[in-house]
Amino acid sequence: MILRLDAIVLRAGKRTLIDGLTQSIEAGEMWCIAGPNGAGKTTLINVLAGIAKAASGSVSLDGRALASWRATELARARALMPQAAHDAFSASVLDTVLLNRFPHLTGWGWESDEDRAAAHAALETLGLASFASRDVLTLSGGERQRVALAAVLCQNAPLLLLDEPLSHLDLHHQIDCLHALRDAARAHKRTVIFSCHDLNLARRFATHALLLDGNGGAHAGLVADVLTAERASAAFGYPLALIRDGEHEALVPSIPRS
Amino acid sequence: MNASRATAIWIALGAATLVVLVASLAMGSVALPVSRAIGALFHAHSATPDIADDIVLTLRLPRALAGFASGALLAFAGALLQVLLRNPLAEPYVLGVSGGAATFALAAMLGSLPWWGVDIAACAGAFASIVLVLGLARKDLWQSGQDASPRLLLTGVVIASGWGALITLILSVAPENRLRGMIFWLTGDLNGAAAPWPALIALAVVLAVIVPVAPQLNVLLRGDTTARALGVPVERLRLRVHLVASIAAAAAVTTAGTIGFVGLVVPHLLRLAFGNDQRMLVPAAALAGGLAVMAADLVARTVIAPAQLPVGVVTALIGVPMFLWMLLRRPR
Repeated sequence: MILRLDAIVLRAGKRTLIDGLTQSIEAGEMWCIAGPNGAGKTTLINVLAGIAKAASGSVSLDGRALASWRATELARARALMPQAAHDAFSASVLDTVLLNRFPHLTGWGWESDEDRAAAHAALETLGLASFASRDVLTLSGGERQRVALAAVLCQNAPLLLLDEPLSHLDLHHQIDCLHALRDAARAHKRTVIFSCHDLNLARRFATHALLLDGNGGAHAGLVADVLTAERASAAFGYPLALIRDGEHEALVPSIPRS
Repeated sequence: MNASRATAIWIALGAATLVVLVASLAMGSVALPVSRAIGALFHAHSATPDIADDIVLTLRLPRALAGFASGALLAFAGALLQVLLRNPLAEPYVLGVSGGAATFALAAMLGSLPWWGVDIAACAGAFASIVLVLGLARKDLWQSGQDASPRLLLTGVVIASGWGALITLILSVAPENRLRGMIFWLTGDLNGAAAPWPALIALAVVLAVIVPVAPQLNVLLRGDTTARALGVPVERLRLRVHLVASIAAAAAVTTAGTIGFVGLVVPHLLRLAFGNDQRMLVPAAALAGGLAVMAADLVARTVIAPAQLPVGVVTALIGVPMFLWMLLRRPR
């Protein structure tokens, strides 16, 4: 499944966030979208998901423009995890995850055993098997986030679009979730695109990166070429330094010399 | 939740409804044996109808059916609006439908119109209010973009308060001898609800329009972005739900006045008991709402017989403690 961005322009009010981005994203790749607050990461993810329109340019999936896909057909091809989940009413974790099987429902819209199996497998993958009957309203922020990730996984779409999937997660679970996503990309040849503020985790797990500066500038390419100290410093407007210790590397904020 | 569990819930509620229906036919100022009450249903065209047939067929059956239909419509509309507005406090009257109906109905009573004039006025008022809210909130319903629910809710609530002021105005200028009828109408009253058929037909129509999209309602509850990403046509669905819920509330209010509490509480009771799956909940709310109002009306017309209570008083008096008990006994 190839996702193709063609001369994408994003605007917010009078500001140009992205000025003509063209890029192909292939199956098995894991892309991190990084950039400062308000740089257009969420907007871009919604555009890639086909639920928001770019100011100009087009996105195609498997050679067909997103606009020409039928809504349910598209929902079987790509899954979107929004930044925040809405829980107005009580619901069990299992039912919440099962909702993402909606594009696969047939007949009167009741889940089949296959749908249930997919939901249980997704919960298992994220270490949530024992949570299945918990009420989502009683979960902590991080637990709720993992449930949302499990929901997206059980949708079984070849393209995963995740808006800050690591927010609220502790370090251990961040690594676990990234392993699950990397597994989805490598073993199952899915495409994973996620936005993330932790540049070091991105450098370690992503294959590619897209760095936005919020003023129209965008760098796309292999993660080691894009998330460099120089480029990240320019995009975030704060000097960063790359430090090395054996095989470990980290981008850290520079200490100003006064 | 799965199809067989949902079916079991519907069958249980349907059976309870039938029991209450038969009780409604048999009980009253003239008590009839159950066999006689059921028998009357089949004597409809017999050559020699007696007084018992007459009581059942022209008084008790239409009233029980009208109670069932209006209760079903109210609980159905409440369940839909709670989903549409993503707000547990939403109820059928929250978007001002009942306020419009009540204002017009009371104005008709003030003008001494006959009962059918009052019904027509109530219906016209309900639709005036629907059109008003739809016109004001059209941007929120049709346009994609940020979450529209809070603005739609606020629009409805403000319109409802406007109607509330007009109702108070009419009550304050109404002559003493009309006040009692007006208060009964405002509390919800099945006395004189002679024609259950329009409400029953409305019930069948709104159920047929919503039941096929009930799976989409589950997704809509998760927010517009998620729903869109899962392939739900959010704007079209929202418009459909809003219109159907408004029409259901209008039909209920026209039939029986503003019966309180059923539309808010019945969907929540079902959620607390069986979970929040709209595929089960939408038909179950209709059955349970109808059951609740029919049972409450049975109480309302027998407990201090021959005098009668407004059915809305009974629904609230029974509903409040029952709901609090179910809410608070639940372990968190």
